[in-house]
Amino acid sequence: MSGVGGGRVRWRVGALLAPAFVGLGLFVIGPALVSAFIAGTDKTLTGPHFGWVGTANARTAFSDDDLGGAVRNTLVYCLITVIPAVAGGLALALAAERVAHGRALVRFALFLPVSANIVAMAVVFAYMFDSSPDGFANTVVGLFGVAPVDWLGDTSTALPVVALVGGWRLTSFVFVVYLAGLTAIPRSVYEAADVDGIRGFARLRHITLPLLAPTTVFLGVFVTILTLQTFETVAVLTKGGPLNSSTTIIYYIYEVGFTGSFRIGYASMIALLLLVVIVALGAGGALLGRRFRRAREAVA
Amino acid sequence: MSAGTSSDAPVGPPDPADPVGRADQTDQTDQTDQTDQTDQTDQTDPAGPAGPPAPAGRPGSAAPAPTAVRAVRPRRRPPGTATLARLALLTVGIVVAVLPFAWMLRTAIGPAQSALALDSNPIPSRVQFHSFDQAWHAGDLGSALLTGVGVSLAILALQLATAVPAAYAFACLRFRGRTALFAVVLATLLVPAQVTAVPNYVTISALGFADTRVGLVLPFMTHAGMIFMLRQYMSTIPASVLDAARMDGLSTWRTLRSIIVPLAAPAIASVSVFSFLLSYNEYLWPLLVARSPGIATPPLALARLLSDSSAIIPDFAELTAAALIISLPSLAVFVVAQRRLAAGITGTGAGA
Repeated sequence: MSGVGGGRVRWRVGALLAPAFVGLGLFVIGPALVSAFIAGTDKTLTGPHFGWVGTANARTAFSDDDLGGAVRNTLVYCLITVIPAVAGGLALALAAERVAHGRALVRFALFLPVSANIVAMAVVFAYMFDSSPDGFANTVVGLFGVAPVDWLGDTSTALPVVALVGGWRLTSFVFVVYLAGLTAIPRSVYEAADVDGIRGFARLRHITLPLLAPTTVFLGVFVTILTLQTFETVAVLTKGGPLNSSTTIIYYIYEVGFTGSFRIGYASMIALLLLVVIVALGAGGALLGRRFRRAREAVA
Repeated sequence: MSAGTSSDAPVGPPDPADPVGRADQTDQTDQTDQTDQTDQTDQTDPAGPAGPPAPAGRPGSAAPAPTAVRAVRPRRRPPGTATLARLALLTVGIVVAVLPFAWMLRTAIGPAQSALALDSNPIPSRVQFHSFDQAWHAGDLGSALLTGVGVSLAILALQLATAVPAAYAFACLRFRGRTALFAVVLATLLVPAQVTAVPNYVTISALGFADTRVGLVLPFMTHAGMIFMLRQYMSTIPASVLDAARMDGLSTWRTLRSIIVPLAAPAIASVSVFSFLLSYNEYLWPLLVARSPGIATPPLALARLLSDSSAIIPDFAELTAAALIISLPSLAVFVVAQRRLAAGITGTGAGA
């Protein structure tokens, strides 16, 4: 470690940190504070005048049925994407780690969804899930004798189809991270386990999975936070419809603040409430992660 | 990494006293071939009795004999059940991962398709490339690609210029308030883009950058995630290297430029890839800022093509052709930098 203290070092540190903190201050920290202020007003994007309304926006939020629906949709979306994505990504990473031939090709294929442009893929999925009986999805379910479904136009299927696109991409992301986590496990750990005769499923259960626990915590929290912020897939595939059946929280914020009557005061309040949830998740994850990391250091 | 191990193992000097090496090799290759695995199993069995000497070297470890028997037994099941399951899983995974891309390509080169007349044959009835031409002009994709790549590269340059020095300070210098400031950086990662979107829009408009390319770039001038990842990597640079630089009388700036940046090059490369992919695929901010079609980014151009055409009957061949075109830059970056992505995650500690 270089630098012990003193004016010159402080000046240098300041010069190194300044550009980053100007950026963060101007475009993240400042706006977050401004947003917290706007949340207490009745500001609209178009009107020049606005006033302080205190907690009125928060009270509106808690009695807003549309927001309640969006929260419910978001939770359903999280549930049906995060769990399958983490489980599927883990299973694929465990399977792909030991591939000896064609390893590069296997990884390339499984990395593809992560690199995909989500808007482009949404267009492709919109086509695959077209309501016409000749659409891809309807052709497939038709093989099992199911009548054609209006996938994106039906209140019961729109959200699951949107979640399918998100989950498809998340699984690939989870796969990438788990694969990196598996690579980071020292071979010596496996060798020691092998000497003790721990192999196969026992090794998976007692060595690999515990060592991956910090990765799992990180992924669980990170992927949940990402999913809570789902926007593109909804915006492109359904625009929240039909009948708000696929409106997520973030899409609702967009609708309230940037369309219709541009109520950005109220939109900021919803965003602020969401931020509280996200910070709580993040802090919980950090604590849990530290605990597992310590446990892991004890093992390795 | 295990690729190296598996190819090294057979070449390495044979060590009969070490059954571990062989057992390890079994793990690496057992799914390649059924017969191969049987061979390996046969080899492992004699190694079983030879196993106890190894635990003998670790007197405190669990009773060796029963464990060894239990561990060997699963390998005597009909060979390859687990292997088959694994192959099946991988096959399903790959098909699901690739299918939408294949369908995108197949639709784009197939005959024009409206929602009224879809065609779900895996092989298109005839092949044409007219849709690409049509999409290119209808969506003004040339201009969108230029904007997208240009904006992403400008963001990348700004982010590196702001994040590299900050990461260096956090990783290699000691100063008061370091932990607190770093916590502030991390906390900004939790703020969703939608929270900052409104005030940022006001700021960008006030600066006169609404509906300009500068307005697309500026809010992303630094990224806390990049500072975090680079700092994690730079923390692994040994203190002795920094001490040597100080002994040689290198200034902070020279140390950063000639020691830290070259050493952190792999991490810088991988965060650059992440940054480019994120910026290129960004959707919400361009949606708010780029109102005139002339400065639409690729995802925006595609979304507009979609909403324009859905007024009438969408031509999916044209839309998927556009989707394919705008996917090309990120796919190209991805193909070139595939290994960097995984390496970058490992290096940051997020993966471990």
